[in-house]
Amino acid sequence: MNVLVKPAGMQPDGETAPGEVLLRIDSVSLSFGGVRAITNISFDIIKGEVRAIIGPNGAGKTSMLNVINGFYHPQEGTITWRGKVRRKMKPYEAASHGIARTFQNVALFKGMTTLDNIMTGRGLKMHSGFLWQCLRVGPALREEIEHRRKVEEIIDFLEIQAIRKTPVGRLPYGLQKRVELARALAMEPELLLLDEPMAGMNLEEKEDMSRFILDVNQQFGTTIALIEHDMGVVMDLSDRVVVLDYGRKIADGPPEEVQANQDVIDAYLGVSH
Amino acid sequence: MFYREAGQYKTTYAADQQIFPIRQDRIGIGVILVLALLLPLVASEFMLSAIAIPFLILALATIGLNILTGYAGQLSLGTGAFMGVGAYSCYKLVTIFPEVNVIVHILLSGVFAAAAGVVFGLPSLRIKGLYLAVTTLAAQFFLEWCFIRISWLYNYNASGAIEVPGREFFGTLVTGPAAGGISRYYVVLAIVVVMTLLIKNLIRGRIGRQWMMIRDMDIAAELMGVRPLVAKLSAFAVSSYVCGVAGAMFVFFYLGAAEPAVFSITLSFQVLFMAIIGGLGSLVGSFFGAAFIWILPILMRVGLPALGVDIAAETVFQVAQMVIGALIIFFLIVEPHGLARLWAIGKEKLRVWPFPYA
Repeated sequence: MNVLVKPAGMQPDGETAPGEVLLRIDSVSLSFGGVRAITNISFDIIKGEVRAIIGPNGAGKTSMLNVINGFYHPQEGTITWRGKVRRKMKPYEAASHGIARTFQNVALFKGMTTLDNIMTGRGLKMHSGFLWQCLRVGPALREEIEHRRKVEEIIDFLEIQAIRKTPVGRLPYGLQKRVELARALAMEPELLLLDEPMAGMNLEEKEDMSRFILDVNQQFGTTIALIEHDMGVVMDLSDRVVVLDYGRKIADGPPEEVQANQDVIDAYLGVSH
Repeated sequence: MFYREAGQYKTTYAADQQIFPIRQDRIGIGVILVLALLLPLVASEFMLSAIAIPFLILALATIGLNILTGYAGQLSLGTGAFMGVGAYSCYKLVTIFPEVNVIVHILLSGVFAAAAGVVFGLPSLRIKGLYLAVTTLAAQFFLEWCFIRISWLYNYNASGAIEVPGREFFGTLVTGPAAGGISRYYVVLAIVVVMTLLIKNLIRGRIGRQWMMIRDMDIAAELMGVRPLVAKLSAFAVSSYVCGVAGAMFVFFYLGAAEPAVFSITLSFQVLFMAIIGGLGSLVGSFFGAAFIWILPILMRVGLPALGVDIAAETVFQVAQMVIGALIIFFLIVEPHGLARLWAIGKEKLRVWPFPYA
């Protein structure tokens, strides 16, 4: 299925077969001073699924992604990645373990072209030394061309050929979101975290993005965890949904089950006291 | 117009990724290089020694600062000091190992500057922006103090200055008071061109992209596997190396002798202005900036009397200063991203001419 090569440096014993648990969050709590962002949350992400994390504003969704990313370190609880309990790690280590992500507010490298932005996603897979890069011959040149080919595959996949050489700052918002997805895909991640991939998009752009997310999941077999506020999108795309509210998990299950859950309805619509 | 890329099809990624993908650019750079090589045929000793040589050296120093500030986004006010480290280490190397080729010493002296850069770059892991600039200011003052106080650095000269001994390169005297402008010019030109090329390659490869990632969005960079420590310190190292080599050349091929005051904060600011006026994050901009700040005042000072305007020398100097100041303001209002951006816009417009956009 996976047309792109597996990242180098990935231990063969760490491989996870489809259907097995890729990432398990176990009673994780995170607080900033007196503010409890996440309280005792447990859920898992299964290899190959599309997992949605939803909840009202301030529910702790993005904090959850930041925990998975290694950007925040939870005070309590454990994170199991590919069957191994993960020690406290830095974001760049999480990246080298195969976790990629897009951001709620587009976080592209504004001074670079689309092509260069996507090339940055290949950085972890490039190993040529400093001197080779200065001279740009031998391994350095070979590497640049080989990874350019991979990047062009992704550009074709996401249909952004026309903006290849455009500085990303000049692109409209919808395309910036797409370039950001391309950049994350260039990392060939095992787990792709999408933080509100549809935010601020019109219907057509949402439909395009939904199609791309499903294609990524099905063609590359990438496991996807996404945060999204558009319930229609969430219900259509995801295999399972976890619902957070005030830093707690209030529901977890297939979309239709979650949709019918009284706690979820209360969290979204409010309850009369 | 003549500046078109129509019909220039790229069939390989290698062709698409070359430094100058447009044929007219390749021709242009070739012409500039040939002109640079032929310059000594027409230029006077004054033009070579007082304009061309320091221009090239300062352009290299600006490139060094641009790596750090323009590409990696770390503001630095310590350029002068790092150039000084290069100059003093080169002086020590030349006097300790007189038999080794002076070019080797010039290139080695950058290593010492790189080491100093890495040490003073450590705060960048915690501090950003203007606050980092203040810590690099510490480097500037501390290193300048070292140049004055540690007399071992200038071999206990009574004057407190370093004086460049005469050294040969393939039988031609290239340093010292007796060295001719032409030989010095060619050595400087060769070093600057080769180093610019190497840095261009570095910048468009993985390491350069890492620097720009840190500059544009450090959090995203880290989440994509860039180690901030490695990226920032490598930028400090490479930047200071280039500045160090430029500093060594500044003394060995231009000044001939130098006291610590040469590497004061004034030099740091001068190079910083060159980088800003030329355009941060642009190599060609470094040359533009150096030309603007270094060559323009000289041309005005020499040019006004030559045109027959009869004014006193000091008046010319002051008028030149005022005009330069006004031009800096003008260019920064017209294009805050510097002359390089103006140049890029011009080229873009030419490519689609006579239409306003493609």
